[in-house]
Amino acid sequence: MSDTPDTPGPPEPPPEPQSSAESGPKIGVDSWVASHGGRSGRSGPIGSISRAWESIPDVARFLAFVAIALSLPFWLLKSEGDLFNFGLFTLLFIGMGLGLNVDVGFAGLLDLGYVAAFGIGGYAYALLSSGYYGIHWPAEVVIPIAMLAAVIPAAVLGFSARRLLGDYLAIVTLFFAEAFLVFTNVSNPTIFGKGITGGANGIPQADPLTFFGYQLTSSKQLYFFLVGAVALVAAALYFANQSRTGRAWRASREDPLAAEVMSIPVNRLKILAFIFSWAVAGLFGAIYVAILTSAVSTNYSIGLLITIYAVIILGGLGSIAGVFVGAIIINCVFVFLEPQTDHPEAKRWIFYGVIILLVATLKPWYKAVVLCVGTIASGFIVHAIVSATAGSAWTSGKTVAGAGWLSHWVVIPKVSHGNVNNLLYIGLVVAVVLVAMLKGWWRIIALGPTIYLAAVVWENVLTENPGVTAFILFGAMLVGLMIKRPQGLLGTARVEIV
Amino acid sequence: MAAAAEHTALLELNGLSMSFGGLNVIDNLDLVVNQSEIVSVIGPNGAGKTTLFNVITGIYQPDAGEILLGGQNLVGMAPHTITRNGVARTFQTLRLFLNMSVIENVMASQYGRTKVDVFRAMLRTPGMRREEKEIKARAEEKLSFFGQRLMGYRWNQPAYSLSYANRRRLEIARAMATEPRILLLDEPAAGMNPTETHEITELIGKLRDEGGYTILLIEHDMHVVEGISDRVVALDHGVKIAEGSFDSVATDPRVVEAYLGTKATSTK
Amino acid sequence: MHHLVLFNIIDQIRSLGWPGAFSLLRNGLVLGSLYALIALGYTMVYGILKLLNFAHGDIYMVGAFIGYGVLVAFGGALSPTIPIVPLIILMFAVSMAGSGFLGVAIERVAYRPLRTAPRIAPLISALGVAFFLESSVQLLTNSAHYLYNGYQLGGKNGNFGPLLNPVFTVDGIPVTVVQTLVILTAVALMGVLVYLVYRTKFGKAMRAVAFDREAAAMMGIDTDRIISMTFFIGSVLAGAAGVMYGLYLGDTYFFLGFLFGLKAFTAAVVGGIGSIPGAMLGGILIGLAESFSTGYVGGQWSELVVFGLLIGFLIVRPTGLLGSHAIQKV
Repeated sequence: MSDTPDTPGPPEPPPEPQSSAESGPKIGVDSWVASHGGRSGRSGPIGSISRAWESIPDVARFLAFVAIALSLPFWLLKSEGDLFNFGLFTLLFIGMGLGLNVDVGFAGLLDLGYVAAFGIGGYAYALLSSGYYGIHWPAEVVIPIAMLAAVIPAAVLGFSARRLLGDYLAIVTLFFAEAFLVFTNVSNPTIFGKGITGGANGIPQADPLTFFGYQLTSSKQLYFFLVGAVALVAAALYFANQSRTGRAWRASREDPLAAEVMSIPVNRLKILAFIFSWAVAGLFGAIYVAILTSAVSTNYSIGLLITIYAVIILGGLGSIAGVFVGAIIINCVFVFLEPQTDHPEAKRWIFYGVIILLVATLKPWYKAVVLCVGTIASGFIVHAIVSATAGSAWTSGKTVAGAGWLSHWVVIPKVSHGNVNNLLYIGLVVAVVLVAMLKGWWRIIALGPTIYLAAVVWENVLTENPGVTAFILFGAMLVGLMIKRPQGLLGTARVEIV
Repeated sequence: MAAAAEHTALLELNGLSMSFGGLNVIDNLDLVVNQSEIVSVIGPNGAGKTTLFNVITGIYQPDAGEILLGGQNLVGMAPHTITRNGVARTFQTLRLFLNMSVIENVMASQYGRTKVDVFRAMLRTPGMRREEKEIKARAEEKLSFFGQRLMGYRWNQPAYSLSYANRRRLEIARAMATEPRILLLDEPAAGMNPTETHEITELIGKLRDEGGYTILLIEHDMHVVEGISDRVVALDHGVKIAEGSFDSVATDPRVVEAYLGTKATSTK
Repeated sequence: MHHLVLFNIIDQIRSLGWPGAFSLLRNGLVLGSLYALIALGYTMVYGILKLLNFAHGDIYMVGAFIGYGVLVAFGGALSPTIPIVPLIILMFAVSMAGSGFLGVAIERVAYRPLRTAPRIAPLISALGVAFFLESSVQLLTNSAHYLYNGYQLGGKNGNFGPLLNPVFTVDGIPVTVVQTLVILTAVALMGVLVYLVYRTKFGKAMRAVAFDREAAAMMGIDTDRIISMTFFIGSVLAGAAGVMYGLYLGDTYFFLGFLFGLKAFTAAVVGGIGSIPGAMLGGILIGLAESFSTGYVGGQWSELVVFGLLIGFLIVRPTGLLGSHAIQKV
């Protein structure tokens, strides 16, 4: 191609400089750059915490968790209610999160039918270990059967849908979950003289878990059993992730085409991931029914699915430790928001605590200060205006539990006016949308009154309806997480070529 | 190391044809790559070169013809099976597993050559641990082929942190880890400066001489093609227009026309 | 047991006869019109962003509620303060506008920041938005069902009674005003949409962005604006469908949109995702399938049959009936 016959050849690559025991930075020399940090992540307290966390080896973290968990019934979760709500349900959420983490986190599939597997395991247990058909098989037999019952549809669905791309697989699984709900609620075919799913009422009176003659009846026994089960499953999945199968899953998630060409049978691995996830769901579904002693189809709704997704996404997709953290946070939110709870003030502190945390992440620090001042000020202004114009009937209400002094800042009417509450809520949503569309200092300015409005709505509206509130929070949290921090708390930030 | 070029055909394409919606992308192509040979495929953009690779590796199904690897017809097999039979490739646009570490990339591609299933992995049987060690050792061995560039602390860094040239090298290492009989390299020198191009050229030679690989190469950079090929094949619009040594192909009038067009009537 | 089920179905078909078949056909067309309108929103957004907008069904639900709100603001179904025809037009107008803006707001807040994020991010965000909307409406309405028109279907109480008058009858089966209204309005809206997409410059821009967003941007098209408009149009159609649902079936509640929306999405897939005529065709087909299934199979199994058909179709033919198989360059 070139016209000049004596073009000098390409230059020799420069030799790697000798490392002598001294001197200044050798920028450009690979090994020097790697060993001299300064670019090792975030600064400040959060940075040091995350570095400390990462330096603890996985085994140590695992054992620490098990040790702490086993000790909890003796100091933190002493009451029966606490143990049941915080202990058992957190562990159940961890278990379910671990399962979903396999096909969504490891293999990158979008499985929206997971909750049906949970239900299948539960119903299987209820049918084989209860007074319903009079079959009282022991748990060591029923639980594997329950897992198998969940695995079979996973295999069938996974195999038939093996060529479907992400979104389509999501729809197919979602339809399966809906079909499951319809089947249990409505179809309820009569087999052996009774509706096999018990219809809308479900199947009552499931036996407690009985392993080789030993019955698990008290919350404490169930708790220790669950700690063991969760620990076992977590360890097994951890090892699976480290193996060649785990690598193949991750490769399929990264780039299915490249993985296929690199000798990985992607479709087969997708099906395997599916099967694993649903098997775990079946396991914990059975345990769940044993704890609640009945299988009712309304428990397996889309709300539960979103909650488990919230768990694994908050924790970080693909991170087993993240599932633990996510489950603990989400379940605590649920329990604290419950209407009859032993800790009613907690609701309030969750709300304000989260707000303060989020505000504190604003950089630079003076923005956060301005925002705080703005919020508090706008609150007092509004409160003053309302008490001046609308009279005390509007401002003399009581806060739901404790912190009465807040009623001087937040506008709480004495009698709740339903329509006003609705308008406030809609106003809040509109305000949030506006904030999202503004930028820079305008956004900070708009954020002040918005936060105040959120406080008003919280005190007046949301604390009255805690169940729904949790779902509203989870929905909003999913959106916020995806925008601000898609890798969740403990996940690693991913790089993707779009 | 092995004896000089034996003329046993390793890869044979007979009458291969492929069209996309009426457009013939590969047209009745015959091609032979012999054991331990380096054959380069050249041609202007759109000549069907990458499509050829896609067909050989099973991503596309050809309309007609056969692809024989050591006598076995690969047409109709799934891509992962074709790879297990001994065909490995790199991608023109680099398709690494970016969020996995360097060494994990090279370990992942050994899936087809290993057999421990997930259950034994969960129980961490001695067989599983042994195989993991072998996988890691083999990965390190492949990476060491590239000198110090991909060694040591680099192993545990995520692939996205690598420079462009290192990413190309990693992609080759990953392909090597599948223990192929033939390596399909798709524009390995694309986007490289002269120094890196020189290195890559030497590397490809080393792959043949020390690694014993047979190589089918797509390349635009004629320095590389000239420096390394035993034979050159020129394609245009899916048809083979010339084949032979670099000098004969580079001066073949049909090839010159394909790249530069015919001479317009002189304006002088 | 198979035989039993089959015999039951055949018996049903026979006993319902032609009048029965016609009434099922009529119902299916009305239902199908609703599905088609919602499916259009799904398919347009998917075509332009490759995003499965899970929240779209909930926009439809909110549209139904907005219509209800307008109705109540003007006195309610039993004693409206303005004549029926302007009232209905107003319900449509406000609901369509409101839904449109809701769609645009959702896109701005929840999807636009994720344009360059990994593919799973906007999907999760969409799930979050859907759930947020459902729960919010649940909160606001206290999980209640709101009776839309105050008349019992079949009765003629209240001022909305005339909606139940038959326009014509076939074999004794009436086709009522409201049913004709739904079908004709749907057809009209779809006609406007087809004109917009295939005969205007704006429509051409939409198709360009759907085909290749980067290239369109380089050609001077304001892709952000086009995408917002796409969401607007799709949501407007969903809002209209919401009002129609309320008028036709009588009630609204917070969970309305979820399943309906899903089936509508499948309708879009059946017709070929990204294809506008496909969405219309798919919607009609699904509506008919559901109607005939309820009529002939009936009882506990009809919904499952529909699900089975939908799952089966997705598995067997994911490209749909009118979809094009896009060739990806590897």
